[in-house]
Amino acid sequence: MAFADYFPLPQKWIPRGLRSKPCRHFMPDGSPMYGVVAEYDTAASVYHAAEKVRDAGFKAWDMHSPFPMHGVEDAMGFERTKLPLMVGVVALSGAAAGYLMQWWITAVDFPVTVQGKPPGAWEPFIPITFEVGVLSSAFAALFGMLAMNGLPRFHHPLFKSERFLASSDDKFFIAIEAHDEKFNPEGVRRLLESTGASRVDLVGAE
Amino acid sequence: MSQITGEAYQRRLERLAAHPAMANDNVTLPKGSWTGAARALIGLGVAGLLMTVAGAFVYNAKHAVASYSVGVLCVTAISLGALFWTMVFHQTNAGWHATIRRQLENIMMNLPLCVGLIAVMLIVELASGGLLFSWMRPEYADSPLLTAKRSWLNEPFLVVRFFIYAGVWTLLATKLYRFSVDQDRTGDRFLNNRARFTSAWGLLAFALTTGFFAFDFIMAMDFRFFSTMWGVYYFASGPFSCMAVLLIVTGMLRLRGRLTGVVGNEHVHDMAKLLFGMNVFWAYIAFGQYFLIWYGNIPEETAWVVYRKQGGWENLAAVLAIGHFLIPFLILLLRPVKRHPALAAAAGAWLLLMLVMDMFWLVRPMVYTPASGLKSPGPGAMWVDLAAIVGVGCLWAGVLARRIASGPLIPLKDPRLPEALDHRNYV
Amino acid sequence: MSATNPDRIISERLAGIVSGAPARDPRDDGSLNDDPAVRPPLVLNNRSFGEVTDIICGYAEHTPGKWWLPMFLLAASVAGIGVTMILYLIITGVGVWGLNNQINWAWDITNFVFWIGIGHAGTLISAILCIFKQKWRTAVNRSAEAMTIFAVICAGIFPAIHVGRIWFIWMVFPIPNYNSIWPNFRSPLLWDVFAVSTYATVSVLFWYMGMIPDLASLRDRADRRLRRAVAAGAKKRLPDLIRAYVFGLLSMGWRFSSRHWHRYEVAYLILAGVSTPLVLSVHSIVSFDFATSVVPGWHTTIFPPYFVAGAIFGGFAMVLLLLIPARELFSNFKDFLTLRHLENMAKIILVTGMMVGFAYSMEFFIAWYSGNEYERDAFLFNRVTPIWLSDRGAPYWWAYWTMITCNVLSPQVFWFKKMRRDPRAIWVVALLVTIGMWFERFVIIVTSLHRAWLPGEWHMFFPTPVDMLTFAGTCGIFLTLFLLFLRFLPVFAMAEVKAVLPQASPHGHDDHDHDDHGHADHGHGAAHGSGAHPGGHGPSHEKEAH
Repeated sequence: MAFADYFPLPQKWIPRGLRSKPCRHFMPDGSPMYGVVAEYDTAASVYHAAEKVRDAGFKAWDMHSPFPMHGVEDAMGFERTKLPLMVGVVALSGAAAGYLMQWWITAVDFPVTVQGKPPGAWEPFIPITFEVGVLSSAFAALFGMLAMNGLPRFHHPLFKSERFLASSDDKFFIAIEAHDEKFNPEGVRRLLESTGASRVDLVGAE
Repeated sequence: MSQITGEAYQRRLERLAAHPAMANDNVTLPKGSWTGAARALIGLGVAGLLMTVAGAFVYNAKHAVASYSVGVLCVTAISLGALFWTMVFHQTNAGWHATIRRQLENIMMNLPLCVGLIAVMLIVELASGGLLFSWMRPEYADSPLLTAKRSWLNEPFLVVRFFIYAGVWTLLATKLYRFSVDQDRTGDRFLNNRARFTSAWGLLAFALTTGFFAFDFIMAMDFRFFSTMWGVYYFASGPFSCMAVLLIVTGMLRLRGRLTGVVGNEHVHDMAKLLFGMNVFWAYIAFGQYFLIWYGNIPEETAWVVYRKQGGWENLAAVLAIGHFLIPFLILLLRPVKRHPALAAAAGAWLLLMLVMDMFWLVRPMVYTPASGLKSPGPGAMWVDLAAIVGVGCLWAGVLARRIASGPLIPLKDPRLPEALDHRNYV
Repeated sequence: MSATNPDRIISERLAGIVSGAPARDPRDDGSLNDDPAVRPPLVLNNRSFGEVTDIICGYAEHTPGKWWLPMFLLAASVAGIGVTMILYLIITGVGVWGLNNQINWAWDITNFVFWIGIGHAGTLISAILCIFKQKWRTAVNRSAEAMTIFAVICAGIFPAIHVGRIWFIWMVFPIPNYNSIWPNFRSPLLWDVFAVSTYATVSVLFWYMGMIPDLASLRDRADRRLRRAVAAGAKKRLPDLIRAYVFGLLSMGWRFSSRHWHRYEVAYLILAGVSTPLVLSVHSIVSFDFATSVVPGWHTTIFPPYFVAGAIFGGFAMVLLLLIPARELFSNFKDFLTLRHLENMAKIILVTGMMVGFAYSMEFFIAWYSGNEYERDAFLFNRVTPIWLSDRGAPYWWAYWTMITCNVLSPQVFWFKKMRRDPRAIWVVALLVTIGMWFERFVIIVTSLHRAWLPGEWHMFFPTPVDMLTFAGTCGIFLTLFLLFLRFLPVFAMAEVKAVLPQASPHGHDDHDHDDHGHADHGHGAAHGSGAHPGGHGPSHEKEAH
């Protein structure tokens, strides 16, 4: 997802490297094209269609389904996310920070002997260390997931199509974006129609 | 929804039998394989035990008995873990476990052997008048703490309790094993329901017997010490160590070219997850118990811990904290490790070593206590411990290897087998 | 079909005009089956994706029935009384409560532990069942998580007002301040602050994250209706406008992309993975409040796992207590919460009840085995022996025996299949368990404190009306929030329910028999997720049966 999609600023305000690529394909009325969207009725048909799109070598495309379909990484051919690694790093640093905070306050900044325990004893620090670790990993998991997904993003070309809203209900979609290198509207339409789509539409970018 | 008819089920069984993964040379070991290894292991075991006996004469009997007990408690924990998992899987109608259940049952069927090994321990204690079980000793007979609990801690009742534990474990293990083996022959899928019912009351009986076994055979070594968590603490060693053995066994069978397409990396992944989770559970229980004793700081509990935090034992405690929890925790968090048969089995082997360390830390400090009047011979005497633990372990492993080679490697006609063959972790 | 006119279909269905195929026998809704070769369906009546959306979104888009508003007003009034009592307490001081110098933790902490225990079940149910891949969790996870959050809110009230001078409550946080006062990190009460606030936060995150796709579904439905209203020039648009904006904001622009779903599922599993030990830790920490002390009856090492088991136990009971009536009050609810699900939960009640019973007996045994006269007295006389039976007995014996009857004995009826499958019986046991779990905390706290070391310190505790009304008030707050949840939010995890339907399998379960498919597929492994028949084997084999 490009920066320019996320922040709809005037092009000249956006650093050069982050600007969106010029549009190569246009709708019949001359407006820029987002891509081609195909609608499917069953999970099986969209799954096999995704395999074909993957094999045709497209990169900028996506599948939309009302529920998480299993095995879709294979059908679409993308890598497993690195999110767990990120969460792990955040969790461990959170836990370490929690421990250090308690240790510094209790043993360094203001050591008081209470309950006959040595100020630096590690045992009483474990519960809060654990809690802070969990808290930071939960935040990292949710917000990391959203950030990697480019969310929140309240506006998206796909939402313009009323039919597409059925992706939250009982329909399945494959959307191939116009800025994919292999994209050409007719070829893509033929490909998607050959995969058993019940309907194939062009979608404008604006 | 109605049941499927007998005929339809028969057809399904026939289709299952025709599954390429169910080919005979994939799900059984060739006749006579592993006999040499089993014989060697049992031989090594006997040799180790003989060396332990020698150690009793070279140093002292108490040391040898303690070392032997460490070994016995370890293998008993593993076997009890297998019984636990078998019952839990039956109880929850688990699908994925069907392909690994026979190996669990094989481990579980070592329980009669463990009962025999415990019997030896008990007989030695009774005959020697309490080498480790200090409450049997005449010098404590008048201790007020002991007289208060004499109606529990007395020899006849201990023997009765031993027979109860032994009876319950043997009964549960053989009953569940019988259901499984019978199903191989008859294909009667409703045996699963009977096993499920047995597991329901079995888990209750298991919890009580394991808990009190831990009280009687570990905690009571120091009759002054008590902890309500003790039963759970000993139990917590079982599930993860059993998974460790299971990972090693299935890994070895796969090295022999067996179980291809039957126990895949997906199963390894799940076994390793359970290994990881139950090891964390052990850490939770161990820390919870230590922590509350440390915090309460009342003499009757703390004395036990204090003794294990001095005289060199504190190093072992640190090994447990780091080696039993911290390192395996960080390593097993990694998904590639959990999905790699060899790495997961290696992690299992490491945790088995830690299981021994844990039991060692519980039992061995009882030997050269100040009150015993015995003088520690120093690290040079460690060969007795090594001989006893390796001896018991090899004996146990030899019997296991023999049983594994003697029959099919999976329950051949389990109704959940198709599900288990197709098992996959998606996320 | 739902795309044509969702409103008409849903309103008809809610009115009971159109319904799924009637169940043959009220005692067997079709989910009960003892054949180990068949997996029972998780959703009854062969619902399609569209129907699932319609039914579940329908709950959130319509008033559930005539009962809702009176019930809501009643609950809200009770909550109002509770809030008044809290204000009265803050204005007047803790003297309005019945606790005293000896029993300085009483009603308030009992209620705190009671609510926090209930609050544990939701996340635990959701997280543990998720980790163990128990697909029937879809029936209860959303409402259980909601219940968690509301219970934690109720729980948090008590220790906060218990501190007395509530305007100093900021001192529990490590905030650098003029007086250089730091909180005491060696106090279990401070761990509670961190544990409960972490727990509340993570539970909200977990609940919210699970709800994002379902909120997006609600958004899209409102959006679709709005577009049609605009096209038709209809005037009445405000409710849908509000929905589209609120759900639109909350759903963060979720567009059901598979790449998003993949990260979402991984993140969800991570959250489930950290929530499980979190739940264990939070209730363990609550148990540390007691167990780190040396009070007989409090200082016992089994407390952490015992409290956790008790929390699951009480929490499942509360879930059943709320959802069994909901099953009757909402049409089609039974399709998602089947008798099989109730039976599973009854079994969990039985198991956790026996874990709690195991802990009771271990405590009792060790109290005797310790040989320590104070420990022995705390159990044998303070708790068990009625005062009319022995001079050494205690006046709170009835609390102990209520606890034993409700928590250990009453779940034993679930050994019988007939009881496990009867919603009324389950509801009664759930009620008893909820009462029993309250008494468990009362026994631990009040009974242990009222007879301490010296007879001169012995006191009784009697709750004042303020005590009782505050507790009733928290029940009102809990119920108010839960009713709002039932009214406005998706009660089931819609996307997850869809994912466990048989037709969600990308391999088209209708095409061919599952077993044959499994054989053909197994060899070439990774490219095809051959086991993706979330409904299990059942549906595909149904035709064999007939």
